[in-house]
Amino acid sequence: MVTRLSLLKELSALIADDVLVVSSIGNNSGFWGQLKDREANLFHVTMGMCTSTALGLALALPNRKVLALDADGNLTLNLGVLGTVANEAPKNLTIVLMDNRNYLGSNKKEPGMPTATAGKMNLEEVAKGCGIAGACTVEEVAGFRAEVHKALSTDGPHFIRARIEALDNDRPPRNKRVPDPRENKYQFAGYIQKTEGVEILGSGLGGG
Amino acid sequence: MKSEKAQLVVNGLKEAGIDFAAGVPDAQFIEVYKMVEKDPGIRYVGTANEAEAAGVGFGAWFGGKKPALLLATSGLLVATYHLARINLLHEVPMLVVIPYRGDIGDPRWLGLYKKTTEPGLNAMDIPYRIVSRSADIVRSIKECNESARAWLKPVAVLLNEEALW
Ligand SMILES: [Mg+2]
Repeated sequence: MVTRLSLLKELSALIADDVLVVSSIGNNSGFWGQLKDREANLFHVTMGMCTSTALGLALALPNRKVLALDADGNLTLNLGVLGTVANEAPKNLTIVLMDNRNYLGSNKKEPGMPTATAGKMNLEEVAKGCGIAGACTVEEVAGFRAEVHKALSTDGPHFIRARIEALDNDRPPRNKRVPDPRENKYQFAGYIQKTEGVEILGSGLGGG
Repeated sequence: MKSEKAQLVVNGLKEAGIDFAAGVPDAQFIEVYKMVEKDPGIRYVGTANEAEAAGVGFGAWFGGKKPALLLATSGLLVATYHLARINLLHEVPMLVVIPYRGDIGDPRWLGLYKKTTEPGLNAMDIPYRIVSRSADIVRSIKECNESARAWLKPVAVLLNEEALW
């Protein structure tokens, strides 16, 4: 089995600069912010909200590729979103699920508490049952590289479940400050305004 | 809700510039959902729960859309965690339209929502306006959305009395 860091390193090497990445709270955001400091990142999306946020973004910008960097505990909090993704069927959406089969494994020396995927739940099968026919599972770097490459070059929605180590024993060096949610909002919205020509922030008549 | 009143809600959304909506249907507002879903100018996403709708609307805002959530008073409770994050941590605007079930005058056994709706919005620091007359629906929806976008926070419109029944 692989670590989260090794897959995120691989993702950082193969993802195009203009792919919008929506990352869940915890080490998905923390590691990605160290590995890939860029304006096209939306960080810190909380439990149950990562894939739904990426879905809304993908539907709003159908010509822009969007990648959700989700996690097992985060997704299972709001699992119904997979049915919505399948029915709305955004061609530009890829969900990468870091499945470490526990809550809080990202911060501890021993696994936190098991998620349902530590037991009988298989999120690849759940995604397929929801109607995302091409859902797949990867367990090593080469398979991950191939599936992400395929997802980013063909019509989605795509669902890639990555079975990763329960604990994040390898970590990137912390030499960047990951922006807080408000700074990140201005950065990400400003980048989309600039590259898509849409108005996001401009509103109101100012103070006075 | 009579279809003329539902039409006023949709007219308000259109005048406000709403072009994206998400939610889970409420019995008293079902005509609004049907009209919004059919409207070519509004992209409606039916979600499995209201927290999911909040996430979808949050993402759509970053894509340049002007989102609205259509939530039942029960659904507001389901959406609270994500709405609170969107409001207090990310500071992102969102119009929230709520048929105010459980308010005084609602003949059904929904009084629980009298206890949760306004205190819940206050606890989340989400400003709201209660609209009791159908003549005020369009203007209020427009004004609430303008304030949401200027203040970068969700603002709610609650419809009760003659505006709802
Ligand atoms: Mg986990």
